[in-house]
Amino acid sequence: MKAYWQLTLSQLRIFLRNRQVLFWTLAFPIFLMVMLGSFLGNGTGISVSIGVVDQDQTMQSKEFFKVLANNDAIRLESSISEEKALDQVKKGDLQLVVIIPKGYEEMMKEKGNTESFEIPVYYNETNLAFSQVGLTIVSSVVDGISKEKANYTPSIVTDSRGVESLDLKYIDFLVPGILAMMIMSNNMNGVAGQIAAWRERGILRRMQGTTLKASTFIAAQITARLMLNGMQALIVLAVANLVFGISVNGSWLSLITFVILGTLAFMAIGFIIAGIAKTPESASPIAAFLSFPMLFLGGVFFPIRDMPDYLQPIVNVLPISHLSHALRETMNVGTPFMDLGSNALILGCWLVGAFIIASYTFKWE
Amino acid sequence: MQNQEETMIEVKNLVKKYGSFTAVNGIGFSVQKGEIFGLLGPNGAGKSTTLEMMVGLRKPDGGTAFIGGFDISRDLKKVKEVIGIQLQSTTLFELLTVEEILRLYASFYQKNVSIPELIEEMSLTEKTKSRIKTLSGGQKQRLAIALALVHDPWILFLDEPTTGLDPQARRTLWDIVLKLKEKGKTTVLTTHYMDEAHVLCDRIAIMDQGNLIALDTPSGLVKSLESDSAVEFQFEGEFLKDELESLNGVKQVGNRKDTYVLYTDDLQVTLISLIQLTSLKNLKLTDLQTRTSTLEDVFIHMTGRSLREE
Repeated sequence: MKAYWQLTLSQLRIFLRNRQVLFWTLAFPIFLMVMLGSFLGNGTGISVSIGVVDQDQTMQSKEFFKVLANNDAIRLESSISEEKALDQVKKGDLQLVVIIPKGYEEMMKEKGNTESFEIPVYYNETNLAFSQVGLTIVSSVVDGISKEKANYTPSIVTDSRGVESLDLKYIDFLVPGILAMMIMSNNMNGVAGQIAAWRERGILRRMQGTTLKASTFIAAQITARLMLNGMQALIVLAVANLVFGISVNGSWLSLITFVILGTLAFMAIGFIIAGIAKTPESASPIAAFLSFPMLFLGGVFFPIRDMPDYLQPIVNVLPISHLSHALRETMNVGTPFMDLGSNALILGCWLVGAFIIASYTFKWE
Repeated sequence: MQNQEETMIEVKNLVKKYGSFTAVNGIGFSVQKGEIFGLLGPNGAGKSTTLEMMVGLRKPDGGTAFIGGFDISRDLKKVKEVIGIQLQSTTLFELLTVEEILRLYASFYQKNVSIPELIEEMSLTEKTKSRIKTLSGGQKQRLAIALALVHDPWILFLDEPTTGLDPQARRTLWDIVLKLKEKGKTTVLTTHYMDEAHVLCDRIAIMDQGNLIALDTPSGLVKSLESDSAVEFQFEGEFLKDELESLNGVKQVGNRKDTYVLYTDDLQVTLISLIQLTSLKNLKLTDLQTRTSTLEDVFIHMTGRSLREE
């Protein structure tokens, strides 16, 4: 027990005194979070840019513009010339162009008009999803105006209510991803590099010559790394909270549980790499070879559902996918732990499997 | 021989093989309590391998050893409690302080000595709170020995404790080893320095290519040469070994590279006949020197090779 505490304490001292490593392991995730968060973080889920060319320039046409502008989902830009606006659609700067032709007000004032007035709408066919959303919005606005003009009272109306009052931005998605990334790289790459270096330098061999048990050594490693990871995770969350106002919606207990599970699973993988690597120089490329695909496929920066179908089976096995998903659900939605059982189970399988392999591949010297 | 209770180490027919290469070829010896026992030999002779098998860091392919009465192949944990080791070229945690690492290693054992006293004994008091990376080579080596002593072991294993140290630091370390002997510790050390073995060791085992080729006290080993003096010289041109051997008083001729060594009991007679021979053959001698025989000569005598081959 004495050895366990002394080893944990020593490991923490080594971490804290290695200022450079300490700084960069923290600076990198925070830098990445602030950069990506500032560039991409403020967009709402869907935003459609619509250009309006008002050729009528009357009270009525301005009213039309105002109604459109009231809709939160669209960003409205008024253009002067039709040609310029269409050019922007082609370039992709605008998804949609609405033209209010001359004579719009006159038509509106004419009471007994039965002929419908046409408002041309141009959209970009290459970005159909966004254009469709825009078209629907414009149609509903036009529909509303024409119904009002005709004094039409609908007999049936829909009453839609939002079920989840969550307003998620990219930064909400990003912060748990960064947390998962940090846990992966600190533990997998960190353990692999450190153990391989200690072995090369004979530190492990010297310890093997004492009555110290390997299990005590490993337990102390785990404890120290858990403490360090917990601390780093808290700092990242604090920065996210201060800069972007991100908060943890779910239970802290569940969050901590997943941080621990992730740390253990990736540490075990790190021990395997340390066992396989013949030199400390080869440990870090091996760790990088494993961490890079996980970084891009595992739902750290992009949602897993955006991945191509043929990659889905692979993606769904990666430990990072489950860690980032569980952290995200806990932080953003506040999903209770029991509903994330499958994530916990898969992480647990990685943990147990990796530790079994590590115990076979681990060498003191 | 002293009685059985005084025997601290009993090595029996230890063998270590790496593939088809035999690193240690069935060696055996015993070490008494309070003795400083030296394993001497050139690089690759199997000294370190032997030592590492004795402390349980390598598994022997044959034979066994009893350390402090415990069998290394059965009671390794008990063995580790009674031995302290200092390994060749080990680095320590550079970012910890002297005191911190001693407390860390002390925590690995049940029994401990007082850490401040240990630091004092190793002349590291002023470095107590310094980080290991700021220590000099000699200080690091003394710290390594301190780490081997934290649990007050009976037997100390030192693997090339002075390699790479300056003469001053070596002397300081010798003093420490001799002081430990006074305290009744048994020490096994490996070295390839003759003078070191001569100063420190009560008995020396000479190893070469995995075999134990001699075991005696330092003076006993030198005596076995049967010649007290050596004449060393270099010369230009071919020289016949037979002619050198036929010189007056010469018992043996050794050579490495350009240097020849003549072993003799009668220095004067040998020198005179050497000068006569060279002037007769009109050969130019350079670097002529005479000295008393050393352990180095014992080694050359036994193996025909130098301890430290360039």
